[in-house]
Amino acid sequence: MKIIVPIKQILDPSGVTVRRDKERIFINKEAYILEAGSKAAIEAALQVRDVDGGEHEIVAVSLGEPRADDALREALAMGCDEAYLLTDEAFQDADISVTTAVLAAAIEKLGGADLVIAGQASADTGSGQVGARLAEALGYACVTAVYELAQEAGGLQATRRWGTGYARVQVSLPAVVTVAPEAFPPRYAHGARIMDAYRKWEVTIWDASDLELGTGALQPLLSFRRESFPAPLEVGEKFQGDPAEVARDVVTALRIQNLIA
Amino acid sequence: MDFSFPKEYQLFRRMVREFVENEVKPLAMVIDREHRVPHETIKKAAALGLMGVPFPAKYGGMGGGEMGYCILMEELGKVDSSTGTVIGAHIGIGAMAIYLDGTEEQKQKFLVPLAQGTAIAAFGLTEAQAGSDAAAIKTTAVRDGDDFVLNGAKVFITNGDIADIITVMAVTDPALGAYGGITAFIVETDSPGFSIGSLENKMGIRGSSTAECVFQDVRVPKENVLGQFGAGFLTFMKTLDIGRASLGAATLGGAEAAMEASIQWARAREQFGVPIATKQSVHFMIADMAVEIEALRSLIYRTAWLIDTGQPHILEASACKLFGSEVAHRCIDRAMQIHGALGYSRDHFIELGWRDQRISEIYEGTNEIQRIVIAANLFRPYGLRIPT
Repeated sequence: MKIIVPIKQILDPSGVTVRRDKERIFINKEAYILEAGSKAAIEAALQVRDVDGGEHEIVAVSLGEPRADDALREALAMGCDEAYLLTDEAFQDADISVTTAVLAAAIEKLGGADLVIAGQASADTGSGQVGARLAEALGYACVTAVYELAQEAGGLQATRRWGTGYARVQVSLPAVVTVAPEAFPPRYAHGARIMDAYRKWEVTIWDASDLELGTGALQPLLSFRRESFPAPLEVGEKFQGDPAEVARDVVTALRIQNLIA
Repeated sequence: MDFSFPKEYQLFRRMVREFVENEVKPLAMVIDREHRVPHETIKKAAALGLMGVPFPAKYGGMGGGEMGYCILMEELGKVDSSTGTVIGAHIGIGAMAIYLDGTEEQKQKFLVPLAQGTAIAAFGLTEAQAGSDAAAIKTTAVRDGDDFVLNGAKVFITNGDIADIITVMAVTDPALGAYGGITAFIVETDSPGFSIGSLENKMGIRGSSTAECVFQDVRVPKENVLGQFGAGFLTFMKTLDIGRASLGAATLGGAEAAMEASIQWARAREQFGVPIATKQSVHFMIADMAVEIEALRSLIYRTAWLIDTGQPHILEASACKLFGSEVAHRCIDRAMQIHGALGYSRDHFIELGWRDQRISEIYEGTNEIQRIVIAANLFRPYGLRIPT
């Protein structure tokens, strides 16, 4: 099976301070990391291989600046077999539709995939749309927010979030699956693979002409105007008073929310 | 001059940091109380190649060189000195002696399992009457057919009771002295006649065992002579020379952790209505820590670079150990002062760090010995020979 994992490099949130009072985000240390959802997607792909030990080919692709090379090498270190960097000045203002077009073109050029595994939503822009749009563009089946993934005859069995519970669904291949990051805690890369990722292995670079993308496909539908802060979240509900009464109230509240039976 | 770390080392450091933060740091207090580093932790480290970081891939190692090894020790030094000591004694001296002077057969037989972490190493030099004066050892090895028969006792051997393989220095010809009369051996600890005597009850690094290793008619095949017959003293000294850089790296980690904890505590702790981070007395202590840490970091990684590029490094490696242990001493002591009585509590990691730090001024050549090594290297060009 050929598994393609689209991954994303983001600004390391630990180097960023959010100042709500000034409505600004300060970058204290500009460092870039492989986004957690992408790591979970790589982990999910590696687990597919671990389960049956089959000859699965796992390919990481990333649309980004040339520095995303580091994210792809981290993917190689974690266990991916090949890595492709999709980079071009023409991709600079990519919105979700352009991102989808570029990733779909790369997957087509790779001869398509049996399975595409992506993160559910990236930790920076967090639109959560790329997976579903990619499935549409490629004509693949799609299941999002997956917690468990298993191969079965003729396709996959996936467990996904469904309201306040879970649903188990069957998916035919080829398919795009997006995974819930908390369900696939990533493995540590082996030290020797980290060394090889930079010393031995290559990242293939494709630009717009390699992907035969014309200016039409690269025309973003959205343009950036300004950023603003959402209203502060009302976090939780406070219960006070006699412990026995509080306990009863908490249980009732949880029942109303359908969080406990 | 480019002072940035190559990218593979940046990624390696991030991996190691995540590993020690998740798998080692939460256990530090328990390791201190229960006097052992869990076998499970060592197995997890081994699965990532961390038990053989500096050694080449052909010997089962990770191929990270001294630079990678110093990064590992620095990150371990930040979270738990006991775990750092177990892994450091295994890689830095136990296995390192075999890597430096072992034959190809010995490396395949012994270094490969050590680098892969399926076997643990220890380094057997110190005896009751021989430590700083390493040439004064009394353990003997007498030829008998195809074997050597070892008799004697080593003390203060880190990993002694958990090791599968110990590199041991023994007298093979008392008449020839240090140069010619001492030979290094690779001893498998399941050999009949090998036993563990007492275990030390130490002030710090309590999770790392320090054992007495007794050799009573232990037969070692002649194939296990490590390095040239009669040149064991040189093998051991060469091993210690390199080991000092990574010891320094561990102290760097300890000093950095002490400073970071001090900064965080100074921001949180309020006295006279303001955080103590606004007090100049605290600024001075933290600034002094930062300066010494910067200097130490430069020294450590420049020395690692000297080692990895095959350049002379004895003076610099000694300086790493000497300066590092003293910087760590001052940093953890200042950190305790900033933390006040809280840092003195048995339940606080500053107290643990303070106890753990002290040994770094003593083990693997006391700081007095390091000063002699450094002075000897400075006087040697003028023809003045100082025995080290």
